Amino acid sequence: MSFEPKIVGFLCNWCSYAGADLAGTSRIQYPANVRVIRVMCSARIDPTFVLKALRDGADGVLICGCHPGDCHYTEGNYKALRRYELLKQTLCAFGIEEARVRLEWVSASEGQVFAEVVTDMTEKIRALGPSRFRVEQENASQPVHQEVTK
Amino acid sequence: MEEVRIGVYVCNCGTNIAKVVDCDAICASLSKMPNVAVARTYKYMCSTPGQEMIVEDIRKNNLNRVVVAACSPRMHERTFRKALQTAGINPYFFEMANIREQCSWVHENEETATAKAEALTRAAILRVAHHEPLENLYADMCPSTLVLGGGIAGLSAALELAESGHPVFLVEKTDRLGGNLARVDLTAPHLYSARDLLTDRIARVRANPYVQLMLESELKSLSGFVGNFTAIVGAAKKNGDPHKEHVLEVGSVVVCTGYKEFDAGRVTHFGYGKLPNVVTSFEFEKMLREGNIRTKEGRIPEYFAIVHCVGSRSRDFHGYCSRVCCMTALKYAHEIKSAIPNSYVSDLYIDMHAFGKGHEDFYRGSSEAKTLFLMYGKNEHPVIKRAQPGEESEMLIEVNEQLSGETIEIPADMVILMVGMEARSESGDVARLVNISQDKDGWYIESHPKLDPVATTTEGIFIAGTCAAPKDIPDTVAQARAAAARILGRIAKQKIEIDAVFAEVDEDLCSGCRVCNSLCPYSAVEFDEEKKRSRVNSALCKACGACVAACPSCAIKARHFTDRQIFAQIEGVLR
Ligand SMILES: Cc1cc2nc3c(=O)[nH]c(=O)nc-3n(C[C@H](O)[C@H](O)[C@H](O)COP(=O)(O)OP(=O)(O)OC[C@H]3O[C@@H](n4cnc5c(N)ncnc54)[C@H](O)[C@@H]3O)c2cc1C
Ligand code: SF4
Ligand code: SF4
Ligand code: FES
Repeated sequence: MSFEPKIVGFLCNWCSYAGADLAGTSRIQYPANVRVIRVMCSARIDPTFVLKALRDGADGVLICGCHPGDCHYTEGNYKALRRYELLKQTLCAFGIEEARVRLEWVSASEGQVFAEVVTDMTEKIRALGPSRFRVEQENASQPVHQEVTK
Repeated sequence: MEEVRIGVYVCNCGTNIAKVVDCDAICASLSKMPNVAVARTYKYMCSTPGQEMIVEDIRKNNLNRVVVAACSPRMHERTFRKALQTAGINPYFFEMANIREQCSWVHENEETATAKAEALTRAAILRVAHHEPLENLYADMCPSTLVLGGGIAGLSAALELAESGHPVFLVEKTDRLGGNLARVDLTAPHLYSARDLLTDRIARVRANPYVQLMLESELKSLSGFVGNFTAIVGAAKKNGDPHKEHVLEVGSVVVCTGYKEFDAGRVTHFGYGKLPNVVTSFEFEKMLREGNIRTKEGRIPEYFAIVHCVGSRSRDFHGYCSRVCCMTALKYAHEIKSAIPNSYVSDLYIDMHAFGKGHEDFYRGSSEAKTLFLMYGKNEHPVIKRAQPGEESEMLIEVNEQLSGETIEIPADMVILMVGMEARSESGDVARLVNISQDKDGWYIESHPKLDPVATTTEGIFIAGTCAAPKDIPDTVAQARAAAARILGRIAKQKIEIDAVFAEVDEDLCSGCRVCNSLCPYSAVEFDEEKKRSRVNSALCKACGACVAACPSCAIKARHFTDRQIFAQIEGVLR
């Protein structure tokens, strides 16, 4: 069977989730590889969410927020951007390719943009193949360590 | 702890979901998950029988959690939370999986769509097990309202509220009321005078003791939340007196900031600005209002040409229809004929949009009044040129006429360009101040285009009139009064319910590092100097989660979006 990437999407409620809904109401088709988790703002996306997703077998993680200046909470997306830059460096150190974790701005009226981002990301990750974590885990299939949660 | 018993409901949404997603298969598979007590599919979960099914199951099967896989939670989360409440369990013991907008409507392959829908539903099931009972908060509703813009929308909203006995602050940027309508002569299709429509309303606004009129003013900042906003209003001009700022306490805001006309100079081929007798609709309105239709040279024109859709419905400028120009053009034909009976009027249109009440009759009436209608092609345009000396008219217009298929040349002494509407250049600043969004053309976005047209995604902020999209006077007034009615409903209740979703600091885990203190956009995190611990003021917190993700001690919990709940969701979508 050919490789089908699994992508977890974290979308802010106000812009990006609404944009993804608009892709639906406009019936714009895109690959079914993305599974969306809604958060109130991109600033809520803790780096541990991304790590957890990768460790649990995601081949890619997509983070979407409002365009700069448009965040429902004024500047949550700038916080997300700063955190994302740091996270990318850490992931690179672990040998996770850059294309696997992506941050995109999608507004409530950009259903088309959301569909394009998902399509493009799916293609790129399909070309990369399964993520290192997923391969390692499938080989070892040992339980992952417990994390601190609140 | 009480045993978790989950009811799972997979909606067919008629065929909207069921035509791509195998709902029965999902139910069969997920019913085997631990804690799932009931799993069913149904035609329309949001219908009354659908909701009753949930209520009955909760009671009969002792369910204490519910998952509905259906449309977007932005559509029906509240509907289903109510059903839980009816059945006597906490409304937050509910989670929705979006298998319509984000699955069946965007995927065609049954197998992958079903797999995805199952994964999303599984994630919701795992998440809901970690949900906690939450109690909504109540806050006082301040009965005063801030209305931005003194056009016909702002005047109508202000009157509706003030005449019900509630204070209104009416803030207008310019030194006069009436907005763009004050520049119009007669109004289509009934030919009422715009002046009459306005003077009555302006007089009532000025006389009403509940209205505090603030001319040459604008909003400088807005803080707080629904029912309890603090607005700062100051002088409109940049170099205005900074001491003249007013601090206003308001419960709601109605944005009625209107539109501006498309700049005809951007379309080069009509010669606007070069040919003296090519004028815009607003310039022509001025001539009508003054009762003096003359060319720049002071002659009474004989040949008139009216060009529709200038800047609207075009590839190069705005794609949308401005909705009022077609009827306004017919109104001009009518007014020209009554002012100058021997004149000839040609009307150059793409399509005649006569969608409103009374519009089609008005169109028929104008056809009978001997107007020459010529249809030009979309994304083509008539060419206007100066006539040779000695011709009977000053200009000639060449049209590739669609109905006859011929190129026709018509004479014109005056050309009226029907300029469309566009979002005001500073509409983005206002959007940021009151925290609402704009679409790609700059118009403000409503909470739901069909079901919630005057509300926005920010509770307590309403939009009315042409700041949301081009519209005529009846639609503008209807929206303004609808917004006022929404506000009056809340004022009548005196209290407003606020979602129980906010952040909370666990004092035992907080190290007192204060990382979170400066992060909050609403200054909701306070520091208790005695205890050396941070604390969130729940009334100010809007639940963005920025502080939660930043706390190095994992001491802050985002209610209803806890780490544990999101982790469960991640496991669910990936399993
Ligand atoms: C040429 C023409 C002819 C028309 N003829 C007709 C007709 O015959 N029949 C019909 O039904 N409709 C007609 N219309 C449409 C009509 O003009 C609009 O429906 C109506 O004026 C919209 O009112 P409004 O209050 O939404 O906006 P506006 O009239 O634009 O009023 C907005 C007000 O808000 C103020 N403002 C803007 N920004 C701020 C701010 N930041 N702070 C404070 N105040 C602010 C502005 O100064 C203005 O006073 C016509 C339109 C045009 C272009
Ligand atoms: S960031 Fe966390 S530990 Fe630091 S003060 Fe805030 S709540 Fe306490
Ligand atoms: S969740 Fe957002 S709004 Fe609430 S206290 Fe934290 S940073 Fe402030
Ligand atoms: S709400 Fe969309 S990024 Fe903050």
